[in-house]
Amino acid sequence: MNVFHPLNRRSALRVGGLGLLGLNMRKLFAAEKAKRRIVPKAKSVVFLFQWGGPSQLDMFDMKPDAPDGIRSPHKWIDTNLPGVITNEHMPAVAKIMNKVTLVRSVHHTMKNHNSAGYYALSGSAPDFDDQRLRDTKEMYPAYGSVVDHLTPTKGDMPTFVAYPYIMRDGSAPPGQHASFLGKAHDPFLFTNDPSSKNFALPELSLPTNIDPKRLASRRQLQQLVDQQSRLLDYSASARGLDAYYERALGMLNSPKMRNAFDLTQEPDKIRDTYGRHTYGQSVLLARRLVEAGTKFVNVYFSDSIGGQSTTFGGWDTHGFNNTRMYPIVEKRHLPITNQTLPTFLNDLDDRGLLDETLVVWMGEFGRTPKINANSSRDHWPQCYTVLLAGGGIKRGYVYGASDKNASYPAENPVRPDDIAATMYQLLGIDPHTEVIGVGDRPLPITTGNAIQDIIG
Amino acid sequence: MASPVSYQNEVMAVLAKAGCNMGTCHGNANGKGGFKISLRGESPAGDWKVIARNELGRRLNLIEPDESLLLKKATAQIPHEGRRRFEVDSWEYRILRQWIAEGAKNDTGQAPELTALEVAPTHRTLYAPDNQIQITAKARFADGSERDVTSQAVYEPSNNLLEVTPLGQVTFNKPGETTVLVRFLNRQEPVRLAFVPERVDFAWSPPTRQGMIDTMIFGKLQKLRINPSPLADDTVFMRRAYLDLIGLLPTENEAREFVTDSDPVKRKKLVNRLMEREEFAEFWALKWADLLNVEVRTLDPKGVQLFHGWIRDRIADNTPMDEFARSIISARGSTYTNPAANYFRAIRKPQELAEATAQVFLGRRLQCAQCHNHPFDRWTQGDYYDWASAFAKIDYKLLKNIRRDGLDKHEFNGEQVVYMKSNGSVKNPKTGKAAPARFLSAGQPVPGGDDPLREMAKWMTAPDNPFFARAQANRIWFHLMGRGLVNPIDDFRPTNPATHPVLLDLLATEFIASGYDLRHMIRLITSSATYQLASEPNATNAGDEINYSHAIPRRLSAEQLLDTQAQVADAPLPIRDHPPGTRVVQVANTIKEKRRRSKDDIVDVVLEAFGKPQRLLNCECERSDETTLAQAFQMISGPVLNGLLTGKANRLERLAKADQPAQQTLESLYWTALSRPPTATELEAGLQHLAKAETTEAKRGQLEDIAWALMNSKEFILRR
Repeated sequence: MNVFHPLNRRSALRVGGLGLLGLNMRKLFAAEKAKRRIVPKAKSVVFLFQWGGPSQLDMFDMKPDAPDGIRSPHKWIDTNLPGVITNEHMPAVAKIMNKVTLVRSVHHTMKNHNSAGYYALSGSAPDFDDQRLRDTKEMYPAYGSVVDHLTPTKGDMPTFVAYPYIMRDGSAPPGQHASFLGKAHDPFLFTNDPSSKNFALPELSLPTNIDPKRLASRRQLQQLVDQQSRLLDYSASARGLDAYYERALGMLNSPKMRNAFDLTQEPDKIRDTYGRHTYGQSVLLARRLVEAGTKFVNVYFSDSIGGQSTTFGGWDTHGFNNTRMYPIVEKRHLPITNQTLPTFLNDLDDRGLLDETLVVWMGEFGRTPKINANSSRDHWPQCYTVLLAGGGIKRGYVYGASDKNASYPAENPVRPDDIAATMYQLLGIDPHTEVIGVGDRPLPITTGNAIQDIIG
Repeated sequence: MASPVSYQNEVMAVLAKAGCNMGTCHGNANGKGGFKISLRGESPAGDWKVIARNELGRRLNLIEPDESLLLKKATAQIPHEGRRRFEVDSWEYRILRQWIAEGAKNDTGQAPELTALEVAPTHRTLYAPDNQIQITAKARFADGSERDVTSQAVYEPSNNLLEVTPLGQVTFNKPGETTVLVRFLNRQEPVRLAFVPERVDFAWSPPTRQGMIDTMIFGKLQKLRINPSPLADDTVFMRRAYLDLIGLLPTENEAREFVTDSDPVKRKKLVNRLMEREEFAEFWALKWADLLNVEVRTLDPKGVQLFHGWIRDRIADNTPMDEFARSIISARGSTYTNPAANYFRAIRKPQELAEATAQVFLGRRLQCAQCHNHPFDRWTQGDYYDWASAFAKIDYKLLKNIRRDGLDKHEFNGEQVVYMKSNGSVKNPKTGKAAPARFLSAGQPVPGGDDPLREMAKWMTAPDNPFFARAQANRIWFHLMGRGLVNPIDDFRPTNPATHPVLLDLLATEFIASGYDLRHMIRLITSSATYQLASEPNATNAGDEINYSHAIPRRLSAEQLLDTQAQVADAPLPIRDHPPGTRVVQVANTIKEKRRRSKDDIVDVVLEAFGKPQRLLNCECERSDETTLAQAFQMISGPVLNGLLTGKANRLERLAKADQPAQQTLESLYWTALSRPPTATELEAGLQHLAKAETTEAKRGQLEDIAWALMNSKEFILRR
């Protein structure tokens, strides 16, 4: 029973010594090799995160027979999935329900945005329902970072891209970066607005005083200096550094990266159909990134939990500060969703990409069944809906059920851990793969179980 | 086979040998396949219940032992995801089978306890072509009996340099050093092995030895047939000393002077001079500020300044490190009037204090022992909770707390008093009782009436304390040499031996004898030949990363990188809320958290990208030394470096305007950035590049290119 640790092939790009003598604890805990080979069904995941918490009773788990004060004040309409209804304000969504699976029994106990948000973004529950959960290195990484750690892309494109915000509720919830997996697995993150006319990434653009020619000449001078010492010959650190220079310069010069991010290459008609707003263009960008080879894309609906404005912000419609939920979601959240989500799924499907691209639409929790004194709804992690499509997920299916008021799971309760496990499995990653955390502690990437029933 | 079979001493051995209770199998926190036993057999009594009683006892068949599920699964006669662990009729099988046949009795606590596991050899160096060795293991029990357990012990090599058979036969595949952990029941012993390749014509040729350090280091290298590299030249030594001691580069004049100085003891004198500069205290204060969590959310801006200032002043006035430690451990009172009390303001729960204090001051990671006996160290859960209890009487009086974010429980803004309650302890979850305050290896708890933290301060810094001096000496060694004698530096345990245990002991003794004097230790280490070895490897030492045969180039830290860039450009870093000219090393707080940042905090972005820790953990590991794409982008096109290069009135502006030959300008830039003159090739290329410029402005641009190249060279970014 010998345990070996062959240096992984990214070691050329990783600097930092491995303890070769001592029983460095990570050597003593062999990362469990996946005992079974999992055939991936999805090449990529697009994770559409609805920060703030969308309401299940007003979108994907409407209960028209529930009493007044619980049921949605909006009317419902049939969809093209028999037995499934949705909000009258989402007629286009009604026409793509035959492409999605709804999981209506997702539940947990984190009532605060940061604790619940971290849970949703990483698949790992925090120890406390902390409203200002501290983002230490001990927190779990984002899904995309795990994917980059275990099965990175081979080409030029980054494995994991996240945009167009760093989300916050007071502080930033953990789960937006690689944490203990190491910065090398952080997402390629940018906060520029894809819908803005001058959308360009700082990493892919040079400062105004440097043009490519000047950069090339600088690189030559640098290489000349490097040749005077033999560091590149004998130092792993030097080689690792240089490899990243090459990669960065490659990205600056490579057409593939530039093209993927260049939305002006899309016909106006398509850009219009997605919606000429940040979210719409962000989701369009996600399609391009997936086409170019990115494995995991996080698109964040908003930077703030919002819910108090018709022009910006997330789904957190409590009715605070004299605002009211329904006028707001009618004008902002539902129309945006109605415009963007069906367009995206249809676009992927038309291009033959849907079957290999897993789309996950979820927030950190749902909203209270009982409408509050401000005619709005508050946080409700006890039962909410997650929508999945593509990448091996059944088309036109409902898994799990809530009780008559969409308050608690009635059938097949599902934890966010299980959603995480499903994503990993569809990507071909054993959901219980162990990684090494702080202090060399072995940790499974999730403790959930993939929901086999929703996989086609 | 002797009858009856002992569950405690024989069955448990089988469960370990067969791998059943490994963390990847049934010892996992979640068990496997519905069968969960304790990790590595730490709870034999509990395991017995699971095996013999749970599931209505269906795991064992006392009437027909061969039909037991336990045996059928382990021999894969029934599908077993864990595959076949042993054969039918193997010794493992026979022990279990007989035990079941005898009634599957539980003799935990009744059978004689294992008192010692002796392995032989404890360490050995093999010389090619001999690449094999047999490890033997002997178990001693409380009744005086002993038996050979070589075939029953578990052998775990720490890397793939060698293979070990289940019978303890070791075969080295590649030269190098490694440790094999030998486990039997609840004991484990390391065997340190090295395999030295055949080096025909090996001629031992070291540089001149300077003292005890070199004797130890070179002694081992000679045994390993590894020749050290020669001593580094003056430029390399000088840069090393400046960066390691004050985090800065020598100026052009300092560099030229040092290199041309003919004083035979100039290197020693340089070290002494550097340690007298105030930048020394600032640079070394940074290391302690990281470990002691000097960050603004919990300490508030005033507390951060006070605590950081206090640390810096203690280093500046050469306070002995034992006194430093005692001041922190026994600190209390207002965090504004006693800055050291901020340690307790930053870390507020007994368990967190227990882990932090052990890690920072004693070099031990107790974390694993919170939930189960530490798998690789001797600490039990009892040890953990007893130690945590020492911190349980601490309480706080918030004189004022005006939070910017009312919802953030971690934020404190205002004066706070740290005091000791008369009572307080932590509950041991395993026993359900209050744990008495007791210091790890100490047999007896602290007497009830005593102040546990004052006692801890004394205990920790007593000359016979086995942890403190070694841990601190190891830290100092690490900061200079790049790797601890024990690595990771805060992970001392018997199963993670030092590469040079005798040297570590000598350094600890020296440290104590010097009065726990930081500067004395730095002097000692930097005056050794070992510290001064060049980084270029030779044929015999190229593969060595742990025996100090040559220096290993390592990336500058985030702070060093930015401060040295600012030095070369002779321009201020745009650090917000600080006067221009402030160096990053001087900033008391760590990087601002994202929500408090504005888009002007470009310096923080770079610091974060290059690994500056947030100061939320007490581990050196929180600082990242990895290389990432984001860093490359910062260097290539990032606003901070670009800003330094293009700033008005910086060095490049002056050089562009200076009325002097281009060669002089180039040399000045090289001495400033790389502490050396340009080579002939570099001079030619540089002059060519400059010749393209016709105006002063164009010349400035060319100088920016050259300065960029110098600051992006490996020679600049790496400390070698």
